Amino acid sequence: MTREGWSQVVATMITRGAKGTPAEFETVTDYLTKNLPPKNSANVAASAGPRAFPAGPEDRQIIDPKAAERGKAKYTSDCASCHGPLARGGATGPDLVRSTVVLHDHYGDTLGPYLRRTHPATTGSAIASLTENQIRDLSHFLHEQVEDTLRSGPYTKVLNVLTGNAQAGAAYFNGTGGCANCHSATGDLAGIASKYDPPTLQQRLLFPRTVALRRSSAAAPKPITVTVTPENGESVSGTLVQLDDFNVSLRDSAGNYRSWRRTPELKVDRHDPYAAHEELLDKITDADIHNLVAYLETLK
Amino acid sequence: MNLRSLFWIAIVASMLNAQSLDPNKLLQPPVDSWPTYNGDYSGRRFSTLSNLNSQNVQSLSLAWVYRTSEATGTLGNVVKSTPLMVNGVLYFSIPDHVFAIDARSGRQIWQFNWASKGGWHLGSRGVGMYGDWLYFETPDCNLVSLNSKDGSERWHKQICDLDRFYTATVAPVVIGNHVIVGVSGDDLDIPGYLESRNPETGDLQWHWSAVPKPGEPGSETWPNAEAMAHGGGMTWVPSTYDPDLKLLYVGTGNPQPVIAGKGREGDNLFTESIVALHIDTGKLAWYFQPSPHDTHDWDAVETPVLFDGEIDGQPRKLLAQASRNGYFFVLDRTNGAHVTTSEFVKTNWAKGVNAKGQPIPNPAKEPQVDGALVSPNQGGAANWPPPSFSPATGLFYVNATRAFSEYYIFDDSEKPEGWSGNDRGGGGESMLQALDYKTGKIRWSHKWEGPGARSGVLTTAGNLLFTGDASDNFIALEPATGSPLWHANLGAAVSNGPITYELDGMQYVVVGAGDTLFGFVKLSGK
Repeated sequence: MTREGWSQVVATMITRGAKGTPAEFETVTDYLTKNLPPKNSANVAASAGPRAFPAGPEDRQIIDPKAAERGKAKYTSDCASCHGPLARGGATGPDLVRSTVVLHDHYGDTLGPYLRRTHPATTGSAIASLTENQIRDLSHFLHEQVEDTLRSGPYTKVLNVLTGNAQAGAAYFNGTGGCANCHSATGDLAGIASKYDPPTLQQRLLFPRTVALRRSSAAAPKPITVTVTPENGESVSGTLVQLDDFNVSLRDSAGNYRSWRRTPELKVDRHDPYAAHEELLDKITDADIHNLVAYLETLK
Repeated sequence: MNLRSLFWIAIVASMLNAQSLDPNKLLQPPVDSWPTYNGDYSGRRFSTLSNLNSQNVQSLSLAWVYRTSEATGTLGNVVKSTPLMVNGVLYFSIPDHVFAIDARSGRQIWQFNWASKGGWHLGSRGVGMYGDWLYFETPDCNLVSLNSKDGSERWHKQICDLDRFYTATVAPVVIGNHVIVGVSGDDLDIPGYLESRNPETGDLQWHWSAVPKPGEPGSETWPNAEAMAHGGGMTWVPSTYDPDLKLLYVGTGNPQPVIAGKGREGDNLFTESIVALHIDTGKLAWYFQPSPHDTHDWDAVETPVLFDGEIDGQPRKLLAQASRNGYFFVLDRTNGAHVTTSEFVKTNWAKGVNAKGQPIPNPAKEPQVDGALVSPNQGGAANWPPPSFSPATGLFYVNATRAFSEYYIFDDSEKPEGWSGNDRGGGGESMLQALDYKTGKIRWSHKWEGPGARSGVLTTAGNLLFTGDASDNFIALEPATGSPLWHANLGAAVSNGPITYELDGMQYVVVGAGDTLFGFVKLSGK
């Protein structure tokens, strides 16, 4: 997967309870991106290295991009009119991405016999003349279509989120959205659209902490802070490290780690700098989101 | 002599072995054993044991730990399986490995390693047992039978097609002479199914398809034959069973393609459904569909929990599910008739509930090219970790998550396949919900600090509820109020459903967290 893909996986793991610092999650994401890159990366194509997607058989065909390119040409001239341009089926031919003949095939070993014997018998097409190499090329092309359909393929990108009305977005920003309470188009958000693409702007306004974790280029997320006040004691504030029903811990501004057992007498005040964004999720409409992104996109 | 008599003679003969499972144990509340995934067939995960109770739970202490990473020599194992405990031995699994350990000491008795040919090593929910034999599923689509004495392989059978991107995670459930097996995988548009296999040979007894063929009931909810033949509906959480009605209850997973609903217009039966099947034939008795035409990956596989209750003064045989889509459903398990439907966390994807008790999906909350903000997120309001129902309190307990995601269509072509989209989001909150089955209302809610608490739940007649929080604590709470009574931080989130059993007059509680299984015991007697 791409770094973006792996960072999404890591973000999901954080949502499900994975523990670590932002820097540690960055390291994990870097490691995964380096060792399990997208399948069309040159280093994967050149070797029988790690599979791009963790499902499926281990001995899955490693696509040779050049062979797939040749196979595509042959497919386009000889097969596409029945099976469709992406091999997902056409007017008269079945879907080949979902075909068990293709999925069971390795480098042409089942595709070849099928094309030579069964296919002519069922369709009348005279394709028995295909050479070994042509069958191999077709096999690479068809397996490439299968790989493209998996979650690591090319269909993992947000297509277009710029569908809103910038003027309405500005009105929401300055009015009901309450964004202007903390942000300014000429202050902290000046030039924001030059820093982030529209899908990232959309994710940042909805999930600022997660997006900050996902992007190494972005600033680290602002930490949750906490103030702990023991009975008859002085308040201590700092960055929240851990809070549960039983204990609370923080790191103060001097870098000291402090922890307490929670009792009814111990006062714990938690402050999430993104609280307003979390509250927004229950109020904002999809139209508001699209308008707001259109507006933010004008802040080049 | 008929086959039935031979069957029972074979069972009794096998019981002469000290490690063998007495089949009657499967029909009784678990006390000195935990012989099937949910302890018994009901899925309640309620123990009648009360030696350990809310008065003395402070004396519950660590007895042993067993580290799977040391056993397998690999890092990153997660114990998602619920161990079985039979005759003093615990049997549990992670993908490609089964372990037998001493239920008193945590000492390993044997370990079985499967040579994998692939598949998604996402999780293994456990093993099933029949007499001397164990059954488990491998990520590369095999059902493997082992000898419980030494872990040696008796046979293995292919139960799905790895090349089509099926995989297998579920714990087989043994019912009479049926081994119920399910399948997983939703990457390449494949049909889900549930099978019954012969416990002696692994041969197929019946096959129930989660998607119909043209002309069959349910086919009217699909646009064409190809869509239904590739329509999904995986069966990856163990079934529950009513021995009196002889009905098997299973939840089915998402339709496929997963995110893009274009090309599969309609309700897409029997995906995202709770179905009742006749145990001897696999024929459908009834169905109820929590998420018609789902486009959010909200598998309705969560354990269908069976209990008897009272509705409007009438005794009823009930079934309840806290579904991944955020709704709590109570049904009449004799016929699937709806009793109550309620949200167990606030959601935003439905326009209301119809007369049959199903949420009515709001088309605007289907994934969009420019995104749709939806709650629950893909992980769901609940997921596979097992909930619990306590007959002592009449409450249904589930760890719930409330989170939002933006759902996108990534492939807007004429024929999207596979996933063709996904959700992106983050954050959220998690809480333990206690639900009143009579009203569907939340009796109490215990909010955890932070998202991510997705642990299984166990309740006992000792007025105890065990589960995990979002901070790696294994916690005992009071089932009537949700007040914490005891905890131990295990250094990793509770990753399975806890179990309890009594041995030598002492009550044990066993739980998985990360790569490790922990055994707790109340050492003194009464």
